Amino acid sequence: MSETVKLGVVPLIDCAIPVVAHEMGFAAEEGLALDLVREASWAAVRDKLAFGLLDAAHLLAPLSLAMTAGLGGTPAVPVVAPMALGLGGNGITVSTALFERMKEAAPEVMAGPRGQSARALGKVIEADRAAGRPRLSFASVFPFSSHTYELRLWLADAGIDPDRDVNLGIIAPARMAESLHMGWIDGYCVGEPWNLRAVQRGVGVVVAAKADIWPNAPEKVLGVREDWAAERPDTTAALVRALVRAAQWADAAENRPALAAILADMRYVGVSPKILEPALSGRPVLRPDAPAEALDRHIFYRWQATYPWPSRAIWLLDRMVEAGQAALSAADATALARRVFRDDLYAAAVESLGVPVPEADVTVIGTHDAPRDVPARGGGTVTIGPDLQLGRRTFYPFGRDAASEAT
Amino acid sequence: MTAATAEADLTILVIDGDPDRAAVVERGLVEAGWLRVSVIGPSVNLLQRVQALGPDVIIIDLENPDRDTLEQMFQVSRAVRRPIAMFVDQSDSAMIRGAVEAGVSAYVVDGLRQERIKPIVDMAISRFNTFDRLIRERDEAQARLADRKLIERAKGLLMKNRGLAEEEAYTLMRRTAMKQNRKLSDIAQSVITAFEMEF
Repeated sequence: MSETVKLGVVPLIDCAIPVVAHEMGFAAEEGLALDLVREASWAAVRDKLAFGLLDAAHLLAPLSLAMTAGLGGTPAVPVVAPMALGLGGNGITVSTALFERMKEAAPEVMAGPRGQSARALGKVIEADRAAGRPRLSFASVFPFSSHTYELRLWLADAGIDPDRDVNLGIIAPARMAESLHMGWIDGYCVGEPWNLRAVQRGVGVVVAAKADIWPNAPEKVLGVREDWAAERPDTTAALVRALVRAAQWADAAENRPALAAILADMRYVGVSPKILEPALSGRPVLRPDAPAEALDRHIFYRWQATYPWPSRAIWLLDRMVEAGQAALSAADATALARRVFRDDLYAAAVESLGVPVPEADVTVIGTHDAPRDVPARGGGTVTIGPDLQLGRRTFYPFGRDAASEAT
Repeated sequence: MTAATAEADLTILVIDGDPDRAAVVERGLVEAGWLRVSVIGPSVNLLQRVQALGPDVIIIDLENPDRDTLEQMFQVSRAVRRPIAMFVDQSDSAMIRGAVEAGVSAYVVDGLRQERIKPIVDMAISRFNTFDRLIRERDEAQARLADRKLIERAKGLLMKNRGLAEEEAYTLMRRTAMKQNRKLSDIAQSVITAFEMEF
């Protein structure tokens, strides 16, 4: 008799891991029946997880931290993330009209590295200000999301103040392309396929991929309530194993066409495989009539993409403080990160799979421009991806006081 | 659940992707004495409409994708009238659980006392539940009607092609259904399929 786990997913490429666990039988092999529920908004995922209408969720990593701390006008509901659901995968899209203005304002910038495309936006904003035109509007998917922090980083790197020079709003992922088309917003940061959908519809242009801003950044996690995990340690471990095996399957290049076909189903992402496949294979067309790019394919498993790295949670909390969403001391941030990002649960669950786990659970972020090997627990090494951020920002997750000592 | 005169001046906004359910909720509120109720549907420029209406209370279906947008608006709002999620005041957790289970979420202007909001949220929950029940009953009634049509048609086919009397045709299907532990309508469907394949 298998145990049923009700798991909420939001229609995005990185919902692939739970979907594959269900469709390819990895959950069944762990004695679990996944009841996948497609959710339209992150607020609905949060509320249903908090009140037990969902057992588990495909959750924005920062939202797992915000829920536990009770940020954003909701009561504190402690959530744990016993694993991450891949890395990266977002992009920044602007309307075709804004793209034309950016090209005209700064052709040399638009011909340069995509990560710096906001410098052209800065010129457009200057012109708008001089002409007394209203501010441009950009949207992210949720206040507590890596999208919000990437958008802010992309703007700030070009000298644009995210709080004063533009309007920043929130729109659910599946509504982004339509909102751009209707002219309600001028640009947005969202996970795939909702950037490529705008390009395909001819309403937008992708001006920066996540890899241009911060490669291999934390994105989604598996979120379960802390009490749920404590009451069901075996179920939690079985769920992690099923999802890790699903991530391994999804990560293999040869499985990507099949994965695109699975995700195209209306119960999951509900977008044509023609859009999903280039996003999954890292061969997207970012500008209409341009050749396909050669990006790294979406990261589900490789480079420790399922390991819930506590230092990445500390980094996210630092972004929350920077964005004015939270007031936390470095010690509080570390404690909160460790309470939510439970790498101990991950390590215990995957031991029987022979999946290696990095020895150091806290590392400096932002100093590596190439993949590197780090020691694994119990000997050997694991390979992790580059993490050089836009503007070469380095983050020391040992607390701000320790930063000066570490340099 | 009648609004006291003093409460009737609260401005309530109902946002729902389902216009029928929105109408049911609106009617419930108006009949109970809250007169300043507005309803907006999906795919409108939500922020502008909400700002223009300046509601004290917003009732929005839990599944509505516009909730993410609405919440951000509250978080960045510098205005005095700053709505917050009803979840913040946990003094009535039974009500909140009831709301989430019924699919209701609510946002209220900060500072509005819980006892002024509770009857509004209770009304919305009860209307959402009533609406769910009505939909379920309608679906069941339609299914029953469809079943009856199938059975009538199968009976007619058996009478015409096998020369059975109406009562005999019905008894035959009924007995088969009981023997095979299947629904009568399933047997009727099998009979229809069998005859349709024959011709």
